[in-house]
Amino acid sequence: MKVRLETLGPTTLVIPQGRLDFASADRFQEQLEQALAGAGTAPAALIIDCVDLDYVSSAGLRVFLRAARAAERAGVSFAVCALKPAVRDVFDLSGFSRIIAVHASRAMALQSPAGPA
Amino acid sequence: MNERRTSVPSEAMQLPILTRFLQEFWSATELPQAEALTFELALEEVFMNVVMHGASADSVPRVEVSVALGDGALTLTVEDDGPAFDPLSLAAPDVTASLDERRVGGLGVFLVRRMMDSVSYHRVGTRNQLRMTKQVAR
Repeated sequence: MKVRLETLGPTTLVIPQGRLDFASADRFQEQLEQALAGAGTAPAALIIDCVDLDYVSSAGLRVFLRAARAAERAGVSFAVCALKPAVRDVFDLSGFSRIIAVHASRAMALQSPAGPA
Repeated sequence: MNERRTSVPSEAMQLPILTRFLQEFWSATELPQAEALTFELALEEVFMNVVMHGASADSVPRVEVSVALGDGALTLTVEDDGPAFDPLSLAAPDVTASLDERRVGGLGVFLVRRMMDSVSYHRVGTRNQLRMTKQVAR
């Protein structure tokens, strides 16, 4: 799985591409931890843009859960956006869309960066 | 009836091989791509459960996977010769828990049960057998 990072002012966007499964989960976890730490200063908001994410399993959900908790502890707002239908299904069935802010698009996520906390 | 099977040792590094096995079956049978991810997820969750629960110090179980298409339904069967373990006996996660209280144990099997039309476990001789079936539109 490839991961791109973008910075928009105080917001860091993480854009995973491909499959977030057992094989890629640990590496993605590290990348999210680095994104949360920032370059010395934590971002105000962390948005995972899932526009290119094709697949997520429970191993991937675990990473989202850990990142959401770490963000909450650090006072960083956390959201995901642009979920493809298959990924959205997994978020809905698992109840994760109740505990993590899910936005339809990047634009909407950027408009309401406050998150669910 | 269109059927294929493969087998691998229950090691995490084998997961991409099983995913590819399923994808090749999908291409060969021209099933709708939207359904493929559901079965890829089921296979990952069930296989990783065997990897986590099945190995002992002196042996690595063998996992046999088969897919069979018939009467518009696809059946995915995962068998292993590890110690008896019924993943369906795992407690379902509380999907209404808050962010702080949320636990992830049992989540994979829970997703599989929700996504498949039917899931059953049998201990057959010295083998665990988990069978999952879902209608697939063609």
